[in-house]
Amino acid sequence: MVDMKNVNVHYSSGVDALVDVDLHINDGEFVFIVGESGAGKSTLMKLMLRELTPSSGRVFVNGRNLSALKGNKVAMFRRTIGVVFQEFRLIQDYTVYENVAFALRVADSSNKTIRQRVPYVLNLVDMGPKAKHKIKELSGGEQQRVAIARALANDPGLLIVDEPTGNLDPKRSYELVGLLKEINRCGTTVVMITHEHNLVRYFGGRIINLDKGTITFDETIGGSDYYEE
Amino acid sequence: MRNNNVSYLVKKGVSSVWKNLVMSFASFSILLVSLLQVSIAVLFILNANIIMGNIEDTNQIAVFVEDIENESQAAHDKKVEHIRDVLNANENLTDVKYISKEEAAQKWSETMSGEASELINMVPGGNPMPETFTARVTDIRNIRFTVSAIKSIEGVEQVNAPYDFANALVNIRNAFSLIIIAMLVVLIIVSIVVISNTIRASVFARRNEITIMKYVGATNGFIKLPFFVEGCFVGMLAGAVSWGLTCFIYSSVFTLFTDNLTLWQMFGFFNLIPLASIRWLLLLANCTAGALLGAVGTMISMNKYLKV
Repeated sequence: MVDMKNVNVHYSSGVDALVDVDLHINDGEFVFIVGESGAGKSTLMKLMLRELTPSSGRVFVNGRNLSALKGNKVAMFRRTIGVVFQEFRLIQDYTVYENVAFALRVADSSNKTIRQRVPYVLNLVDMGPKAKHKIKELSGGEQQRVAIARALANDPGLLIVDEPTGNLDPKRSYELVGLLKEINRCGTTVVMITHEHNLVRYFGGRIINLDKGTITFDETIGGSDYYEE
Repeated sequence: MRNNNVSYLVKKGVSSVWKNLVMSFASFSILLVSLLQVSIAVLFILNANIIMGNIEDTNQIAVFVEDIENESQAAHDKKVEHIRDVLNANENLTDVKYISKEEAAQKWSETMSGEASELINMVPGGNPMPETFTARVTDIRNIRFTVSAIKSIEGVEQVNAPYDFANALVNIRNAFSLIIIAMLVVLIIVSIVVISNTIRASVFARRNEITIMKYVGATNGFIKLPFFVEGCFVGMLAGAVSWGLTCFIYSSVFTLFTDNLTLWQMFGFFNLIPLASIRWLLLLANCTAGALLGAVGTMISMNKYLKV
């Protein structure tokens, strides 16, 4: 699903964002990527989204060599993954329904598919009853659920989630990760980037720690029974 | 792309005009001013060309027939016929007219008054006026070539042509064309630059939307289409309004000229293009140019934000 070999990312500012990174994520895994600010988490995410290409090394996602993708092939690739951002990145003028339908339209889905798929994914994240609401009428937690619904609209094999709890209170954060775990149980690979160690300890699973652009820890740990606020 | 998604994007583009009313109005205003300037300049060029043509049509060349002593009347008539045929066959000549010695004398006498008109009859050897052909040159730029062709006709003694007049007109027309073309090019370039900057501000305000589109897998075509439709729509609206204003201004100017016809006739202004004959063509041209300018401006502005 995700395969990186000897990946280096060197920015023109002189910063080595990633150094000799080897990473393999299998289908169906749930992976936390943690690390301090500037550790290279965002760069890793940008590589997986093909927003960036490595200075050296190879990145394969969903069977595609991302360095070789050009033009509309990048767009086609992005339709095979779902992405959720900390700041939600929803279209504020659209309703909840329209935001999710939008991702399907982008993928050139028919009206029939849109009518069937949008209520399904909205119900999956418990946002069905608010389908007609405008985004600005929703709380942060609800907006993040809509963002997840949009990411799931095209039934992606891989869901990349960047600091999804950054704008949420602790209770909503735990609920949200619980939801992502549910999605993962249904077969979607989830890569969640976070710096919230409490969440990671609570849920457990495969943890990858980045430090100064290098993977310093890659282990699977068990979860705990309590969460810290 | 599926039809349902194309119609969705077109609707989005049109509705964006109202959603982003301030920026749309800014683009509309700039397009309107640019189109108004261009359409007035084009009308000016068209009319100026007609006026120049009218002035050029006043040119006249005179072809003098060789007068040979002791030439038989039959041979002379044959020579005159030959010259007439060759002149009529020349594509750059029109209104070829023959003036006999008698007619020439008559005309000369008419220009004289009193006893002076009888002077021509006192010339020893009879009527001294030459037999001539007069003609107008269709394309005054080729006057020298035409005159030299006429001179080579057997039986032609001399050709008088208004070279200075022709040179002056050709120079004026060339300079005029250059100035107008330069003006048009500058106007169009300035319009595109100003419009693309205005639309850039509009696109910048919606960069978040574009970024979202890119992340969910939108192709550049999918992202561009609503902006393209918006640019075209605003451009067409500006074109339609510009057309209305142009018609109003043009009909006012036309009325001014036709009300003072005798004065303008002196300067060859009598053939301005009537508005009725170009009204719909002007509408089509304005709307098409507006849509094109809007679309080109949008495309130039958008490329920067598509690199996500």
